[in-house]
Amino acid sequence: MTARDYRGVALCCPVTVPYLRRSPHGAAWFLAGALRLLLQASGIAKTDIDGLCASSFTLLPDTSVAFAQHVGVSPRFLEWLPMGGACGIVALRRAARAVQAGDAEIVACIAGDTANETSFRDLLAGFSTFAREAVYPYGAGGPNASFALIADAYMRATGATRADFGKLAVAQRRNAQRNPLALLRGDLSLDQFLAARMIAEPLCLYDCVMPCAGADGFLVMSEDRARHLRLPFVAVCGAIERHNAFPGDPVQLRGGWAQDRDALWAQAGIGPADVQLVETYDDYPVIAMLQFEGLGLCAEGEAPAFVRRHDFTVEGTLPHNTGGGQLSMGQAGAAGGYLGLVEAMRQLLGAAHGWQVAKARHALVSGFGMINYDRGLCSAAAVLGRV
Amino acid sequence: MIRLQRCATCGTSQYPPRAFCGACLSDAVMWEEADALPARVLARSRLHHSNEPRFRARLPLTLGLVQFAAGPVALCFLAEQAVAGADVRVRMGADDLLEAE
Repeated sequence: MTARDYRGVALCCPVTVPYLRRSPHGAAWFLAGALRLLLQASGIAKTDIDGLCASSFTLLPDTSVAFAQHVGVSPRFLEWLPMGGACGIVALRRAARAVQAGDAEIVACIAGDTANETSFRDLLAGFSTFAREAVYPYGAGGPNASFALIADAYMRATGATRADFGKLAVAQRRNAQRNPLALLRGDLSLDQFLAARMIAEPLCLYDCVMPCAGADGFLVMSEDRARHLRLPFVAVCGAIERHNAFPGDPVQLRGGWAQDRDALWAQAGIGPADVQLVETYDDYPVIAMLQFEGLGLCAEGEAPAFVRRHDFTVEGTLPHNTGGGQLSMGQAGAAGGYLGLVEAMRQLLGAAHGWQVAKARHALVSGFGMINYDRGLCSAAAVLGRV
Repeated sequence: MIRLQRCATCGTSQYPPRAFCGACLSDAVMWEEADALPARVLARSRLHHSNEPRFRARLPLTLGLVQFAAGPVALCFLAEQAVAGADVRVRMGADDLLEAE
């Protein structure tokens, strides 16, 4: 059965609580900050919010249920979406369906986390039952170690080189240098990338995201409501998600996108060549390459050649992670699952002042989350369109 | 001894362990024990950074992703000479952690 489209749904008001390397505040402070920015950006009252989707790692033991009490909202539609890097697109999908069905009129979608000396280690040590028993005791490398193994297998399967990973990271740094929201804006050359210290071979320092604190958010409502509120908005042309895809693959050389990308492009009514910018989930450049393949920008195993022939800067042949991505903006926990979506919205709204992609009409955004054991389990993607 | 779970109902082996068979959902899972189990190295990495102070003195640590002949995939410590594609034997080492060589 073909999924219903997302016609009539508006995404409004991309907001970011500026990222910080560390913070004394708890996750609720960041999530409440995102909500406050959404109210300021939209001009609506807190009581107008009748739907809420929230994601966070460090808010626990609280969830969106407790958070609703903290911030004094009474939603009739409430989601808690622990999908990590896929949580933004999953939130978009849940919120859009709620709006289409009339279960909510205005849904606030927010994600955020704090960061301090111990929060990241605590998160990794208790990430999942499988991780606690069968991953973390093996040197406590966290996702760096797990993705290093995937990167090693991917390089041998496809001929990808460290210079391919470096090309993506360097282009993103150049994009970040124009984005005041990015935490990492120092010069980064390919030589520096290649000479950087190893974290988990073949991954070096600049392959790995920097954990930080921060939050992102956006509003989902009907186009009619957005027009009535005079809010500029972005359309959802298509969106997919898939969890625990291809469990029989011994090593993850593909995410779930391959299973659903045809449905995504059919729903969007355009193809991969018709987007002007791509925002992938870049916890590591190698994972961005899996997304290029999975979403049909190139064939399976051909991302290295694809990377070599494109320029990924804002003025390049395929602007990619145009605000700097997580590699240069930082990974604010679950907000990393929102970053690409919020950046694509800014681009399509013409609000990326200083790093705007010219004539951006369609954007592809993808998310990838939750390395429970040996692979990322949640894959999601959306095609957004300028209205 | 190294122990791998096997389903008494459908015969599927699995790792990490769980209270039921991930294939057929039967809860009749048994343990199969051996001194060592054959496996093949799928990928390897040398870890230079750890989030736990207790590992830092031992860095770099060599890690491997290995697939048991019985099917499941495990993360383990890997001997230096075991390259990707190599056939190895996996044992239970210190602290009840898997080691392959």
